[in-house]
Amino acid sequence: MNVIETYNLCKYYKEKRAVDNLNLGVPEGVIFGYLGPNGAGKTTTIRLLLNLAKPTSGYAVVLGENITKSRKYLKKVGFLPDVPNFYNYFTAREYLELLSEIIKVDKKRVDEVLEIVGLKSEKKRIGTFSRGMKQRLGIAQALLSDPQILILDEPASALDPQGRKEVLDLIASLRGEKTVFFSTHILSDVERICDRVGILKEGKLILNDTIDNLKKRFSKRILHIEVNNPQKLFEKLKKENWIESISFSDKNALLIRVKEIQRAQREIPRIIVEEDILIDRFEFLEPTLEDIFFEVIS
Amino acid sequence: MILKLMKKEWKELIKTGKIYALLFPFLFFSILSPVIAKFTPEIIKSLTSTQDMQGIIIKIPPPTWKDAFLQFFKNLNQIVFLVIAIVFLGSISEEKNKGTAAIMVTLGIDRKEWVIAKFLFQVLVVFSLIFLSYILCVYYTYFLFSEVGIYETIASTFLYLVYIFFILSLCIFSSSIGNNMLQSVGIFFAIFVLFTLFSIFPNLEPYNPLTLSSLQNQWIVKGVIWKDAIENISTVIIYSVILITLGIIYFEQQEL
Repeated sequence: MNVIETYNLCKYYKEKRAVDNLNLGVPEGVIFGYLGPNGAGKTTTIRLLLNLAKPTSGYAVVLGENITKSRKYLKKVGFLPDVPNFYNYFTAREYLELLSEIIKVDKKRVDEVLEIVGLKSEKKRIGTFSRGMKQRLGIAQALLSDPQILILDEPASALDPQGRKEVLDLIASLRGEKTVFFSTHILSDVERICDRVGILKEGKLILNDTIDNLKKRFSKRILHIEVNNPQKLFEKLKKENWIESISFSDKNALLIRVKEIQRAQREIPRIIVEEDILIDRFEFLEPTLEDIFFEVIS
Repeated sequence: MILKLMKKEWKELIKTGKIYALLFPFLFFSILSPVIAKFTPEIIKSLTSTQDMQGIIIKIPPPTWKDAFLQFFKNLNQIVFLVIAIVFLGSISEEKNKGTAAIMVTLGIDRKEWVIAKFLFQVLVVFSLIFLSYILCVYYTYFLFSEVGIYETIASTFLYLVYIFFILSLCIFSSSIGNNMLQSVGIFFAIFVLFTLFSIFPNLEPYNPLTLSSLQNQWIVKGVIWKDAIENISTVIIYSVILITLGIIYFEQQEL
């Protein structure tokens, strides 16, 4: 069952099509990585889903509610903005306790979420927090109402490696408990923790699948070949029209992307034999998300 | 939820120290106004007794409790009015600007209730401070002049409350429309100047909230005549309701 669904969702700003006919489905319980270069429309999609912006046309259904007709679903959604800002004069506990009163959540939950994000013993005012601490407080705030969906806008982009690891571990620990919709442009973050990925380019969704399926779809198209005379093989292969790209991965090895895998399987051994080249290694590589991303984006 | 949201506003007022920015001018002018009224003639008299001013005769009638309250309302309408505007004009716009408003509304907090809570809180705080400063002013006036016209001062303070109700609704409206403090200040003063220009046309007086300030003085000096103010009070309340409603509608539709 999809907990987030969008139907021809559009958001235009004068000339710019920030989100263009977006049809997206996010199944329950997954960690969904919403990928795209800067300016692709990730934050706009999130703002639309949270009713912070109004769609130009189309609509979305979140937890069974049409977002253009109701805002009740927001009580079941937690949100962390890309640059979280809070009331700086409170401590983390004061802030969350106040929120818990307003949204009618048991105060015990404040202790729980502070424990989860590692801010339980923090006594300083929020105004003195580092970026990473604010990010963690943002996650605590998003988790406060024990929401069904967590929407996180670039939660780790501005953090140092340690802070990023902490935040990603935290998100990964929610797997199975909550649906996490998580936008980023950092591919390794998505590859590390996401079950499913959507790739957005210029407001359009160009891919939406599980990472496993994507790897299967894009696998067996990258070859790593080690030979005694790579230069000779390079010269021969670069002329072939079934080769997409070819490069040296090190002194004796070539990295080859092919358009037609069966032809490559047939032709490359033939060329190697004909040219009297000695082969040391012939391997199909599993593509990284980065490979898939750049292939799809280009 | 409105009460809880008002509690948040209260904590903000205390933690940011804005409460002192409000409290100090109210207390200061409620005590100072009767003192100034009492001693101004004596100060002027002492000035004329210096060598340079000898020969000049200045006749000043003995001050009364009326002078104390005229001074009190003059200060409230000028300096305290500015303090109220500065403290509350950013109440919505700055939250929009900083992104805290977005976090609050995505928690499922009703936008309408959020705005209403802010307005009610501001009314509650300012009305309480006006009440406190009125009591202080009455006390000091009685202490210095041995008499106070309770009915006239209560009636005039009531007019001031109506006027402040309008000013606070204008603050909420400007804050809802503006995306930051500066824009809100611009909108607020643009509307305020518009009403000041209304004063040029005497036939528009019953429809001008600023008329309430001149009525306060008239009631202190000449006595209370309710029928002079009924139309004005009704108009100002209607303006206030319209401004709050528009502020809420705008905020409901606004992208954050």
